[in-house]
Amino acid sequence: MTATENPPTQQTAQTYRPSTLQRFLPFAIAAVVPFILGSTTGDVNFWWKALITVVVLAVVARLAWKWTPRGELTHREDMRLWRTPSDRSWAALTTFGLLVLPFILASDFTPPMGFPWATWFAVVNLVLIFAMGAAAFNLLVGYSGQISLAHVAFLALGSIVGGIVGVQWSGGNMWLALPAAAVAGAVVGAISGLPALRLKHLYLLLATFGFHFVMMLVWREYLQEYFGFVGIRFKGENSPRIASWLHWLPGIDPDQNGEFVITGQFRWYWVLMPITVLSILFMVNVVRTREGRAFAAVRDRDVSASLLGINVARSKLFAFALSSAIVSMSGVLASFYIGSRGEDSFNVQTVLNYAIIIVVGGFSSIQGAIFGSAFFWFLPEWFKWAREELWFVRDIDFLSDYPSEIDLAIKGFLVVIILMFKPDGLAGMWRDFKNWLGRTLARSNP
Amino acid sequence: MLLAFGNFTADPSVNLQLLIGGLALGAIYAVVALGFVLVYKSTDVLNLAHGEFLMLGAYFALTFLISENLNFFLGVFVLLLVMLVFGLLVHYGIMRRMVGQGFFAIVLITLGIATIIRALLLIFYGPTERGRLDLLPQGSFEIGGATVRHVDIIIFAVVAGCVLLFFLFFKYTRLGLHMRAVADDIEAAAAMGIDPDKVYAMTWAAAMVMAGIGGLLFGHVTGAIDRSIEAIGLRAFPAAVVGGLTSLGGSIVGGLVVGVIEQFANGHLGTKWREPVAFSVMFVVLLVRPTGLWGRKDLERV
Repeated sequence: MTATENPPTQQTAQTYRPSTLQRFLPFAIAAVVPFILGSTTGDVNFWWKALITVVVLAVVARLAWKWTPRGELTHREDMRLWRTPSDRSWAALTTFGLLVLPFILASDFTPPMGFPWATWFAVVNLVLIFAMGAAAFNLLVGYSGQISLAHVAFLALGSIVGGIVGVQWSGGNMWLALPAAAVAGAVVGAISGLPALRLKHLYLLLATFGFHFVMMLVWREYLQEYFGFVGIRFKGENSPRIASWLHWLPGIDPDQNGEFVITGQFRWYWVLMPITVLSILFMVNVVRTREGRAFAAVRDRDVSASLLGINVARSKLFAFALSSAIVSMSGVLASFYIGSRGEDSFNVQTVLNYAIIIVVGGFSSIQGAIFGSAFFWFLPEWFKWAREELWFVRDIDFLSDYPSEIDLAIKGFLVVIILMFKPDGLAGMWRDFKNWLGRTLARSNP
Repeated sequence: MLLAFGNFTADPSVNLQLLIGGLALGAIYAVVALGFVLVYKSTDVLNLAHGEFLMLGAYFALTFLISENLNFFLGVFVLLLVMLVFGLLVHYGIMRRMVGQGFFAIVLITLGIATIIRALLLIFYGPTERGRLDLLPQGSFEIGGATVRHVDIIIFAVVAGCVLLFFLFFKYTRLGLHMRAVADDIEAAAAMGIDPDKVYAMTWAAAMVMAGIGGLLFGHVTGAIDRSIEAIGLRAFPAAVVGGLTSLGGSIVGGLVVGVIEQFANGHLGTKWREPVAFSVMFVVLLVRPTGLWGRKDLERV
């Protein structure tokens, strides 16, 4: 009935402008409601909270969808990161999800069939750290096309800077170590990118692999010189803490000795999540700038890029410096989160793990890094659960006898299968799903 | 001190021993590098799984020669046959679909194959280490105060023989000619009626056989056969690159050069300097001659 009165072509031609309040209201709801839900403890039933969460999810998605500029867009509107209704809707949902997640995970909910709940929080935090590093790796290797295997070298650099600045100089000041690691990573990254000016593809890969071994030597020497065989301790007295002049902030409730130590999964989440989200948003935005477009041009054909007026050398070094700076920061975060770093913390297998993450997640997509690291950490967790709880899996002795080996085999097979049949990885599947959802919604609700 | 240099010694017999040890190590590197070169030369694939292929060869040698206790020549024949079948499997199962894909995607798929092989070997052979192979003559003799093992000489002879064989094969046989044609220009070769698919399959089979020989030989000189011997694949990279990734003879020279340099770094500076020094040598060679000492230069058209 309404469809005949308002044909879809007319609707899209109509211009619609939400007010500023309308533009930000869905995100404001998404940001506030989790804290209200989280602060009401005890007296409200879990299932009521779950119901409210679902309702808010729907409302936020719907409002963000509805209050999107439509029709003739100005250049400024066209350049927004979240431009289409779908983008805005997913962004609002993600905001809500990221903020409500720690409260859900911290609740003493016991899922049916012994689904692993207690370990989820640790896995989520690891996913955050790995997503940051893998996204930077993907920016360099996938998006800029500068093949580098020196990824783990920069994680080690992050640990060295964390050890020098964060532990030796300041006794557990992670906030000082993070910018220091970013600066050190950018400088060393630009130096490690120098071979890229002369070498390409295969030879660049081998040269950066050489850098990996040099960095491993530096790491071992540093450890032996200052810490011996036990490795660096980033926990206990070296745990990061919030300075006392910031204790007035809401939600910061100092312990008995008047300190606020960042320990436990809940507090770590609120440190890791903003840093990861901000750095990923930063990378997404860099890709949209002139520099980011230069990365893609240099990747596709550097000679043509130079004819377009792009300084190819500068662009390559910038890609290396940017990626390495963020990877070093993720190295600092990982060191402080995991708590100790020793001689065997970094090896060739870690490089391969990051390669597996970006392949499974989706090559050359920053989103893929998030999917990939989530998959990488949740797969062993779910596989373990399936082995212990699912009756039809539990009876297969072969699976319980070789858990970690089968894990490894699954990852290997997945890399091969995804590269052969689905080169876009999980990010590609997610895109296909969104397209399918959009088509289905458009068909049922014209 | 970061640069704590070890004890330099002028004793000639120590240096001679290091030189001989380096040549022995270099011979092993040459075996591995030959595998890289074979694959890279005709399929343009950098096979990061070659270390795992070699590990597969070593474990199969263990099964056929020690556990099954076959006659030496029969056992080696079975080993090489099995490896050949595996090579065909790798090509027809996986690599065939990857022809024409991006460079890094192919590198990553070889990493995936490496992961699978590692996991399967762990499942079927377990993580415990096995003793080394002891089927080749185990004795040794002395030259000027330095010990030379018989095994090292055999390895050296086998590598030289393999290189000569492959050289003659590429130069004088029809299939070798096809392989060179496909390596040169796959489209032109296909237009001339050569089946690149068959050529690639043959290449993978040859590389796997080479990995079988390498595993058999390396199993005689390594401390013990366990899952850490795959690292030889990574350590042989500098050798392959220094010699040039498209040159058969270069793999021998590169292997010997890198082996000797590594052994001297090991003896004079300490074990931890072995890999950094080898990769630095590779790095310098890459900067001066990006295709290695004897590599084929690629023309780039815009």
